[in-house]
Amino acid sequence: MHTLKLLSSFLKVNIQMALAYRADTVVNILLNLMWLGWELLSLNIIFSNTTTLGGWGLGELISLLGVFRLVNTLMIALIWPNTEKFNQSIRDGSMDYTILQPVNSMFLVTFSRITVWRIWDLVLAIILIVVGINMAGDVTTPFNILTFMLLAITGTIIIYSLWIVLIALTFWFTKFDNNVTILQALMDSGRYPATVYPAWLRIIVTFIIPIAVATTIPLQALRGELVIGKILMYVAISFISFFVASKVWKLGLKRYSGASS
Amino acid sequence: MFLIIKRLWQVNWAEQWQYRANLLMYLLYWLVSPIIYLAVWTSIANQKGSVNGFTANDFITYYMLLLICDQVTSNIVIHTFGYKIQDGSLSGELIRPIHPMLTNGLVNNIAFKMLTIMGLTPIWIILYFLFKPDFSSVSITGILLAIPVMLLAFVIGYLLSATVTSLAFWTTRVYSIHEFYFALILLFSGQFVPLTLMPKVIQDIAQYLPFQLLLYYPIQLIRGKLSAEQIMQGYVMAFIWLGISALLFNWVWRNGVKRYSAVGA
Amino acid sequence: MSANSIFVEQLSKTYQVPEREAGFSAAVRSFFKRKYKDVKAVQHVNFTITQGEIVGFLGPNGAGKTTTLKMLSGLLHPTGGQASVLGFTPWELKPDYLRSMTLVMGQRNRLSWDIPASDSFLLNQAIYRIPDDVYKQTYKELDEMLELEPLMKKPVRNLSLGERMKCEIAVGLLHRPKVLFLDEPTIGLDITGQARIREFLREYNKRTGATILLTSHYMADVTALCERIIIIHQGQLKYDGGINDLSRKIAPFKLIGVRLTDADSHDLSGYGTQVQNEEDAEKRYIQVKAEDVTRITSRLLADLPIHDITITDPPIEDVIEQAFNQ
Repeated sequence: MHTLKLLSSFLKVNIQMALAYRADTVVNILLNLMWLGWELLSLNIIFSNTTTLGGWGLGELISLLGVFRLVNTLMIALIWPNTEKFNQSIRDGSMDYTILQPVNSMFLVTFSRITVWRIWDLVLAIILIVVGINMAGDVTTPFNILTFMLLAITGTIIIYSLWIVLIALTFWFTKFDNNVTILQALMDSGRYPATVYPAWLRIIVTFIIPIAVATTIPLQALRGELVIGKILMYVAISFISFFVASKVWKLGLKRYSGASS
Repeated sequence: MFLIIKRLWQVNWAEQWQYRANLLMYLLYWLVSPIIYLAVWTSIANQKGSVNGFTANDFITYYMLLLICDQVTSNIVIHTFGYKIQDGSLSGELIRPIHPMLTNGLVNNIAFKMLTIMGLTPIWIILYFLFKPDFSSVSITGILLAIPVMLLAFVIGYLLSATVTSLAFWTTRVYSIHEFYFALILLFSGQFVPLTLMPKVIQDIAQYLPFQLLLYYPIQLIRGKLSAEQIMQGYVMAFIWLGISALLFNWVWRNGVKRYSAVGA
Repeated sequence: MSANSIFVEQLSKTYQVPEREAGFSAAVRSFFKRKYKDVKAVQHVNFTITQGEIVGFLGPNGAGKTTTLKMLSGLLHPTGGQASVLGFTPWELKPDYLRSMTLVMGQRNRLSWDIPASDSFLLNQAIYRIPDDVYKQTYKELDEMLELEPLMKKPVRNLSLGERMKCEIAVGLLHRPKVLFLDEPTIGLDITGQARIREFLREYNKRTGATILLTSHYMADVTALCERIIIIHQGQLKYDGGINDLSRKIAPFKLIGVRLTDADSHDLSGYGTQVQNEEDAEKRYIQVKAEDVTRITSRLLADLPIHDITITDPPIEDVIEQAFNQ
């Protein structure tokens, strides 16, 4: 309950910020539409030259674009701005204030910045998913939709955990300003099904920087391509990775306060 | 003048060398999308034999060369000058008797390039063994003809980026404008896909824009895919755009500096 | 809970700083085998502070003041010794502890730059779980003392340094902390700004009975607020006691100021050490040992054409500086 109240406080503060820069917000929305146009155009170019990509048709790629935008929105609306704030707070020392607040610091670090206008992107993403599925003409069962949502959440948790670990490394290597570049760099790989990539790249985006876990894999579930055992495996992995991440975060805080040395 | 350039080089090289870890990260960031496009298009070509005359090997050589061309012709002027104009730290450079953009900025960009190319070389060799491209269509003449046009393209691209960056004298939203400019490059340079696979309209427009000189034109030249006539056309376009971009930059910069000193930022 | 608000025993902090020579081969070597150097920031410091005291915490740069404040607020884990604040061990970071103290650092921002301070205030209300009625009451009181209202609606970025500091302090006090750690709360402010903050802190201490431990570079802050000071130098406690006793203990000197009828023609060096004093340019000052004051004064009066003579304690700044240098 208190957590929700805090979240709404953060949201309010961030809405204020978005309003303070309203012209920028409008420009950003326009740019966002421009990139959506580009993404659709690039799919159009690909599919004017072929009918399937990695075994998937145009409709499926549009819904993959939707899933990608869902995850990407999370990144752009939450992860990147908070990374920036986190790195800034390590540099200028305001991290001290974060630690001294009587609220879980991992929670504070995750939600203190929210790029509010990006929320409309989620609507766009869902439209893309629905339109894509309709175009593909797949028969989706309620079970498939449920597993899709479940795996989108677990994939997100896995990426989130990786993010926590990456920024927590800053507690050990103070100059590690590039802590999330690798995540940012590989993000784009989520636009296309992981099945088109050469084996080495597929291994990277599935196991090391698991972008595909939150994009390709939920969509496979939506299309009923995953067996129940695999679904359960992803759920288990997300629990484990979240647990590991919060442990690493705690160790990092200890390191910051000099408790470990 | 030579001494100034030498000193500028020493300073900028030392500065970029300080940031070498950041540079490696930048390189990683920038490598990913060409490799993704490469994977997407080779998978299509493998499935169908060829796409519009492009075989899987054509795509591989195209994107492998793109990695090099992009490194030579691209620039980072928006990142090095955008904030300087906005926070007023350009003042210190304006009162020096050399042009900030055309000496210091240029040298800084070249130092940056040298380092990224140093970083790219081992990665490129690894990719070479991963994708095993067949470069048999590449000729020495093609490379020799492509080098001058790549240098011209770098200068044109630098001047155009510098023009866009100079808009920071008027607006705080210069990064948004630059994002739009970047989209134009993506659309018309052949970065996403060889221009011949783009819709006809885009191909027609791209003919008259300078952006294809950054990537598509030199890559195709190296791959020996351009006729003598096309090569001539490209060079003519390069010189025309060199003139246009020089005039454009000069005009925007002059007015920008005038405005900057009037506002007293 | 003891009557002591802050209790510190043998508190020590040693940092391990990696040592590395310049150059590539040194970098490679240090990758495999790091050499560390111990930096003793705080060594065996002891003191207790009772509830409601205002204590000045002084020392030159790098003396260990901030390190001590950080340990007492819970940000840093000590390498040795004990501390307890309000009965809590600070570095356990118990939420109940965090809700009953505050740390304000003059050089760091807690308020968001781009939005009006009022929104940051409301966010802190949520973070510290302050009930609405308590929040309103506290805000009213803070507003009375600091005149916050006109500042609340402007984005923080548009506030002056002094206005911002008022808001920074106020936001740190919304949850009515019983203990305040203030690190340079007046840094960068002009004289009136400093006086404002000082007045507020005195008033706040009177109203709420909160304990305040503050560091400052401005001696005026300390002399105006604190009856007691703690001096730390190179990590070690140098002095703990009343501010008025300081000069007697550390520097048992008096200043004799004389105005002569023919100003510069006389040599005073035979009577004591000549010192500069900007406050009164017409007078010349000499510093003498406290027990010699009577004797030297009578000699001066006998020897020289004196227009006016004063005997004062040396300025506290000079005394403290002397304490640092011991």
